[in-house]
Amino acid sequence: MGMENPNLPPRPSSAASLFLSSAPVAGSEALVIRSAPQAFSQFPTPPFSSGPVVGSQGSAFRPPPPGSSNELVRPTPSPVSSSYGPPPTGFQRFQNFAMHSTGQAAPPLPTAQPVVPPGPPPTGPPAGPRTLAPVPILSQPQPPSIPMRFPDSTKTEQIHTNVHPSQPFSLFRPNSQPSSTSMGPSFATGWAAYQPSFPGVANGHPNSVPQAPPLHPPSFSSQQGAYAPPAPASPFLSQQRSYGPAPLATSIGYPGIQTHDHGIAPPTGTPQGMAEDFSSLSLGSAPGSFDTGLDAEALPRPLDGHLELKSFAEMYPTNCSSTFLRLTTSGIPNSQSLASRWHLTVGAIVCPLAEAPAGEEVPVVNFATTGIVRCKRCRTYVNPYVTFTDNGRKWKCNMCSLLNDVQGDYFAHLDASGRRVDLDQRPELLKGSIELIAPAEYMVRPPMPPLFYFLIDVSISAAKSGVLEVVAQTIKSSLDSLPGYPRTQIGFITYDSTIHFYNMKSSLMQPQMMVISDLDDVFVPLPDDLLVNLSESRNVVEAFLDSLPSMFQDNMNVESAFGPALKAAFTVMSKVGGKVLIFQSTLPSLGVGRLRLRGDDIRVYGTDKEHLLRVPEDPFYKQMAADFTKFQIAVNVYAFSEKYTDIASLGTLAKYTGGQVYYYPSFQSSIHKCKLKHELTRDLTRETAWEAVMRIRCSKGVRFTSYHGNFMLRSTDLLALPAVDCDKAYAAQLSLDETLLTTQTVYFQVALLYTSSSGERRIRLHTAAAPVVTDLGEMYRLADTAAIVSMFSRLAIEKSLSYKLEDARNAVRIRIVKALREYRNLYAVQHRLSGRMIYPESLKFLPLYGLALCKSTPLRGGYGDVQLDECSAAGFTMMALPVKKLLKLLYPNLVRVDDLLLKSYPQIDESDIIKMRVHLTVKSLDTRGLYIFDDGFRFVIWLGGSISPDIGRKLLGEDFSGDYSKVSLSPRDNDMSIKLQKMLFKFRESDPSYFQLCHLVRQNEQPREATPTSATKCINFSSRSDEKGPTSLTPCLHPLEQNVYA
Amino acid sequence: MDWLPFLWLIFSCMNLTLLGLNFYEFLGFSDLEADYLNPYELSSRINYVIVPEYLLHGALCILFLMTGHWIMFLLSLPTAYYNLKQYLSNKHLVDVTEVFKVVSTEKKARLIKLGFYVIFFGLVITRLALSVVSAVFADDEDIVAWSTIY
Repeated sequence: MGMENPNLPPRPSSAASLFLSSAPVAGSEALVIRSAPQAFSQFPTPPFSSGPVVGSQGSAFRPPPPGSSNELVRPTPSPVSSSYGPPPTGFQRFQNFAMHSTGQAAPPLPTAQPVVPPGPPPTGPPAGPRTLAPVPILSQPQPPSIPMRFPDSTKTEQIHTNVHPSQPFSLFRPNSQPSSTSMGPSFATGWAAYQPSFPGVANGHPNSVPQAPPLHPPSFSSQQGAYAPPAPASPFLSQQRSYGPAPLATSIGYPGIQTHDHGIAPPTGTPQGMAEDFSSLSLGSAPGSFDTGLDAEALPRPLDGHLELKSFAEMYPTNCSSTFLRLTTSGIPNSQSLASRWHLTVGAIVCPLAEAPAGEEVPVVNFATTGIVRCKRCRTYVNPYVTFTDNGRKWKCNMCSLLNDVQGDYFAHLDASGRRVDLDQRPELLKGSIELIAPAEYMVRPPMPPLFYFLIDVSISAAKSGVLEVVAQTIKSSLDSLPGYPRTQIGFITYDSTIHFYNMKSSLMQPQMMVISDLDDVFVPLPDDLLVNLSESRNVVEAFLDSLPSMFQDNMNVESAFGPALKAAFTVMSKVGGKVLIFQSTLPSLGVGRLRLRGDDIRVYGTDKEHLLRVPEDPFYKQMAADFTKFQIAVNVYAFSEKYTDIASLGTLAKYTGGQVYYYPSFQSSIHKCKLKHELTRDLTRETAWEAVMRIRCSKGVRFTSYHGNFMLRSTDLLALPAVDCDKAYAAQLSLDETLLTTQTVYFQVALLYTSSSGERRIRLHTAAAPVVTDLGEMYRLADTAAIVSMFSRLAIEKSLSYKLEDARNAVRIRIVKALREYRNLYAVQHRLSGRMIYPESLKFLPLYGLALCKSTPLRGGYGDVQLDECSAAGFTMMALPVKKLLKLLYPNLVRVDDLLLKSYPQIDESDIIKMRVHLTVKSLDTRGLYIFDDGFRFVIWLGGSISPDIGRKLLGEDFSGDYSKVSLSPRDNDMSIKLQKMLFKFRESDPSYFQLCHLVRQNEQPREATPTSATKCINFSSRSDEKGPTSLTPCLHPLEQNVYA
Repeated sequence: MDWLPFLWLIFSCMNLTLLGLNFYEFLGFSDLEADYLNPYELSSRINYVIVPEYLLHGALCILFLMTGHWIMFLLSLPTAYYNLKQYLSNKHLVDVTEVFKVVSTEKKARLIKLGFYVIFFGLVITRLALSVVSAVFADDEDIVAWSTIY
């Protein structure tokens, strides 16, 4: 059939024939559907007879409407569904892939005319030509798409979609790979099942193996295997292993063709040592082909949890945990020339107050009598790496090598091995992370009490959206758990076109409201009592919070005198410091700091003026932020508006005061209540360090030159942080002062001096050591992708404030490309690996994360993709995110849960869920599946198009078939719903810093405009572009590939 | 009465002031780097003098033009242009929050300006001396001729 209508849009049956004839995978699938025993003997024939069976799947071959290629990617509902599940599932999906890729390239390329094999394939069955005919036409658009392997060695015949007559098969290579990855394990199993059927193939041509890597799908699954190899195989070995079956085509049919463009593979007997150095990814495209040659699916994906550097931790057991300090590479370059060849920046990500891993709580040390032991010259604190000499009378600083005297009180004899005899009682000499109680010298003033000041916009939009009610309730319920009882202080200002102060004096029964309407010269009506001790004035505060929503519920005032209110708050607080929480529902419109609507001029986007939209418009905000920091006030901004609020300006306040921006676009009490409640509660109750400063010291010869994050620099290396908590991380870049480092080890010490909520002055210390290396390869080996990505995200976001988004994205890409090219220069030539992108094991996820970063909210697209406010808010958030949360945001978890819901698992563990994560590709989505997408900030619940109505009804009630944008996932009274809620609860529990709201998305259904626009966007984003299908991946990595080669 | 020496005296005074202001700013940035000064103080100090400096330079420029000293005017133009550009793009004031990112470039800019003013000062002083000489020996033909050539 396919033969007869080659030019018509492929009909199901022709597609079927395509599958059956061209791809063994498809063929085998068909066989699965039908009768397995016939598989090999009748292979060529089923295509024509089995049309109807696979027909519905074949429909995916229809030329896609332009721009909707993503749709195609989703498996359409299919009657064949019964074929899913059993081992061959993998093949089934494989087939999907083939369809997908075919569909993608809509315009048939003239050059892709079916290439009739130069001659009948040597071993091909007579049916070969016949099956071929339809194929080229169908697959023309994207030649690469069809995986070509026949289970039987006699059917090695290939379909020639290639443009290049001389290399008919080269195209298959890259493309066949992708499919395998997506299937992951399932394919592997399927394949495994097949292997016995062609034993000769795998073993027959060991030498040709390397040439053919891309040829066959299994290479992916096996590549993956290499990352977590069942056997201790090096990436290379495992690749070879995986290539086993592949040589078929090359070796039997057209030996030598592949080598031509693919370069020469390493000799089979690759030395083990070298094989361990790197992994590789086939990027080679056939000359003249249109394919980028990159197989998107071959990219390793971080499914196995977080990236950790185990070996490094073992090397220096007394280093602080990587949750506190992560270096982008643990091998510090010994010379500036070496550092300049390392394009991934040398630096550290520091999260000084991160929640310590279980069992590794940070010990508190009190040098009550001795005073804190520090180096006289460089002021380094005593740490596990200092050495005691002269029988314990002196200690040598590990940073500057100065010999310090040991004070009398701190003296202890050394034992025979040079250890202090009291070592066991000295946690500061044993642990990388400790906390010291600081004596009075470390106080400029008496430790401040925790202070919370609330600045609440009560204009009409706040009253209407229900913000006031939620905020008042949440604050009230958090009053008991505010840190620092009984010293905690609290105060409120509300504002619309006037500013309202509240006298909360403890002797009052009700708070007194004082209205100031002179915005030009705000004066504070009372000297004190605007800021009161919570435990004394508890009743008044509660009375105020009870009446707040009703007080303003009929407020019709649309103005917002934000700037003057901010100044008033500053005046009230400046004596103490503390934290201001701003709840802003509209654009500040009155007084100083009034903002205007920006960003609605589309013409600005993409020009050199674009970045101006992302920086504060009015210098007032920067100046205010600086003043706040000076007086130890942190600002957290909560923004709720559905219209433009200029987060870029408001967020500046948070950025330079160590605060945070929370953005709830189009806040609606019914939807966002839980989220706001959770996040505000966490903000108010988490352990916070007040009036802090942080300094990172390091050994002589290296120096931290730039810092990135939400803070303000008070001097070249002193970060002023009015408030710090466990959700804030900071990045610092390192540079070498001297041209050549002579030391063997570089030490880092993070010191955070802060006031705890209980009113104690403390110093949190994290000490780490890193070896100095002389070899670039070693730097690559010790690289930490997570830290690099975290650093890159900060650099890119900062760059987006002064350049175009495009430039910021390019900068990330260029760095990655440069790094990989450098690595290539290091290894590829000597091992003759041309045509493949090679990368060290430690950086295997870097390209993927780099890509994800470029697609992240603050850096993505332009006007149409992300609203300005969202972009800015996400930027501020990402600047402060700790490493792990950032990774999760960039590469979210995607878990299929319908099986779990149907089966009765008694308990679901975190670890199980981690295991169930699937690739973030469109191909991972099964039409009958129910998936949870979790990026740490929100859940997207994705329902397949042909999901069982039972599941839908049970979870969503009778609204199941209705408009999803209006349906909420409320708990229902049935086991499935309860189970899902439990699961979501588990997910949320594992990441409490933000509350993940559920967004429902149904396959093929666009969220309606009725939903708040930004929510729509995020759903869109999640369900479509974020699932990084080959469509999106390929063009992005294309330049990467080209440049690595260049 | 020949007014030229007075004019050149005014020029040299202005130039000296500019030199001083720039040196003051340069010192501020150096102190900031060495942690003798905090960014708040630095920004308030520098932002206080920066506009007067620009104005003074502008006045000098215009004065050169008005008095017909074309060469001197042209020489002072690049700096004036730089100042104007800074001012128009709103970069002339020190941003207290980001000052550490720009401190090295600002220092370099100040250093270049310092060099410029030093050279300029040399020229102005020479002209001052010459004008004084020519005023004193106005009747001496040779010197007058020589100074007009210059």
